[in-house]
Amino acid sequence: MPHATALIVALTVFSAALVALLVVRPSITATRSGKILAFAVLFLLPLLSAAMGVSDEMDHSKTTTFCLSCHTMESYGKSLYIDDPNHLPAAHFQNHRVPAEEACYTCHADYAMFGTMKVKLHGLRHVYVYYLGTLPKPEDIKLYEPFNNRECLHCHLGARSFEEGAVHNADPATMPAIKANTLSCVSSGCHDVVHDIAHLHDAKFWQGSN
Amino acid sequence: MFSAEPMQKRLQISGTLLIVGLVIEALCLLSKGPIAFVIFVSIGGLFIAVGVAVYLLSLVTHQG
Repeated sequence: MPHATALIVALTVFSAALVALLVVRPSITATRSGKILAFAVLFLLPLLSAAMGVSDEMDHSKTTTFCLSCHTMESYGKSLYIDDPNHLPAAHFQNHRVPAEEACYTCHADYAMFGTMKVKLHGLRHVYVYYLGTLPKPEDIKLYEPFNNRECLHCHLGARSFEEGAVHNADPATMPAIKANTLSCVSSGCHDVVHDIAHLHDAKFWQGSN
Repeated sequence: MFSAEPMQKRLQISGTLLIVGLVIEALCLLSKGPIAFVIFVSIGGLFIAVGVAVYLLSLVTHQG
């Protein structure tokens, strides 16, 4: 368990113990100092514990292991290890173009205002479908909206390899179209090999750095 | 057992709700999975919110 999580759990348990003390001995709130203690224990500490817990849970929900903990996502996780530089997610994951421990979130985040909340609400829907709905086949899972170039440009905009890329500049109309999201980065003939899970059984896999 | 004095009784109810919420949150933090995240936010968060609300209500409705 990460140290931060352990500290938050300790704070939460400590808060619960102090609350229990007040429940067992409510008479201590009769004094002025008891009232101050009650305010700290019944208001400040629970809110602080909850806020720190939410922050920790939100951070954890961005991790690759969290996303891949549902077995529906297993094939997508496996596709990150395909030994093919043309396979977009695999090349990003294996070369640490995205943080390996937050690989899914880095590309599938919505880098717009309230994007994190939007993504988390989608996540809640995924949990609902996973436990209470009808699970789709992994190959039938589709994005809610076509992949927005904004998510790629969040990192690549201004990067020399992108801005001076031969294909990106072969036609003067290409670069403005990419930046305006009218020509998708993942359109056919460009970076179009993305999570090709239908052909996983034919793929060769990288064994990882360990 | 809850106290006979109304203010103290409300504090005990608030405290009981908070203990349940905090214990749920601690358990969810220990078990890292999507369902733990949902329980943390919905059930744990609900108990804590209601517990704090009962405490604040007990303050504003307290006579004398």
